[in-house]
Amino acid sequence: MSEIHGAVGSYVANALDPDERREFEKHLAVCPTCSREVAEFSETAAELSSLVQAPPPPMLRSAVLSSIQQVRPLPPLPEDGPEAEPRRAAGMARTEPDGSSAPVDELALRRQRRTARVLSLAVAAAMVVALAMGGWVVNLVQQRQTQAAEAALETQLLSAPDAKVYASKMPDGTPVSFVVSKSMSKAMFVGADMPDPGGDQLYKLWMVPPGAGAQPVGDNTFSGGGSRKVWMQSGIADAAGLAVSVEKDANTPQPTTTPVVVPI
Amino acid sequence: MNMNISAGFGSGDTPRAGHRTTQLPSQTGQPPPSRGRDAEAEHLIDLITRASRGHEDAFAELYDLTSARIYGLIVRVLRSAEHSAEVTQEVYVEIWRQSARYDSSKGSVLAWMTTMAHRRAVDRVRSVTSETARDEKYALRTVDRDVDQVWDGVEQTLDVERVRKGMGSLTAIQREALTLAYFGGYTQSQVAQLLKLPLGTVKTRIRDGLIGLRDALGVEA
Ligand SMILES: [Zn+2]
Repeated sequence: MSEIHGAVGSYVANALDPDERREFEKHLAVCPTCSREVAEFSETAAELSSLVQAPPPPMLRSAVLSSIQQVRPLPPLPEDGPEAEPRRAAGMARTEPDGSSAPVDELALRRQRRTARVLSLAVAAAMVVALAMGGWVVNLVQQRQTQAAEAALETQLLSAPDAKVYASKMPDGTPVSFVVSKSMSKAMFVGADMPDPGGDQLYKLWMVPPGAGAQPVGDNTFSGGGSRKVWMQSGIADAAGLAVSVEKDANTPQPTTTPVVVPI
Repeated sequence: MNMNISAGFGSGDTPRAGHRTTQLPSQTGQPPPSRGRDAEAEHLIDLITRASRGHEDAFAELYDLTSARIYGLIVRVLRSAEHSAEVTQEVYVEIWRQSARYDSSKGSVLAWMTTMAHRRAVDRVRSVTSETARDEKYALRTVDRDVDQVWDGVEQTLDVERVRKGMGSLTAIQREALTLAYFGGYTQSQVAQLLKLPLGTVKTRIRDGLIGLRDALGVEA
């Protein structure tokens, strides 16, 4: 058996580096034996996943279901497309984002990689929208710049069993959300695209106790101009609502403009 | 919003991200494993077909039936709850997008989904670790634990027991090479370094491991 056949296991286990993978895929396109093994090993590998099952954070479900609403499924591949061999098993292991499983050549690979990059940006953008609309986004692009401790806290909040997302709109129509866990007594304000309120004004967050007026909460003012995530770290367990308003004075003890209130 | 994850062949009610548990509610009885598995596979084909026509409810059921496997696999490779949730979400959006392009003549839905998830998880590992090269010592320290965790972290159920037995039929070195490559997300060259074996040997062990497991599980493609 030639050396190249031997890489089939590593190919299915995604254990080839990019050069090795390219080389193997050239071979795969012309080797029925390897194509069959790729198909069989892919089934075998799928069974391995039963050994490591773990329940996902509960909110991931609503995040997924709300983000697919922004994404149109691709049409089926044309029957008589470039894929001349109808049972080419290799396609199964090559699930590039544009869905093509055509025999691999350099150009196609490069095109696929470009599509992959564009797509992940598009998905990220769709997710920002999904979050602001009441879906849930796990981390977005900012994750990479976020402090580790904060990221961990965020994950904790998002994976809390009682975590809920409350969506609302600012008076100008900007969608905003509060992610709330009463058991953790924490909440996070999220705005995907907060406009600058103008005239030296700020946004300020409030907590509304049952039967009382809004109170400032935590480190609670922020400026506009982009996406914002702001923690509300105390007193959330007892709150009846959360609110955000536009203020001139960061230290005002009460809202001076009509706040957007979300009952929780 | 509905936050329930209904019982499938792989979902539980433990909400901790990254905590390794395994619950297989639908398999606690004793259905004949092969028939139940075939019926499940057919059902997944039905769900993905309906999803490809835009039925979100079918996709939701597909998620419920597969998310513990997909998320579990991604967590296992990435070992980061934050990255794993993000990658899992990307994978499911991608599955939705490509649902019309799933071809049942090429393999099972689960294999199609798992392939996509594993590939993305590995891509993420490599893009993260290329910035901060993975600490060799850490890697070496965790080799044994890796293998052990796969063995210990799993409850005894019929389906899992089959796979465990299959892994048990491999030689120690086949098992180790396969585990490091598939669950560890290492390249075959890294596996060779970790196990201090020639690359050619590792390549062969990974393939032999998959052949052994395939034969033990009686998988027909
Ligand atoms: Zn070959």
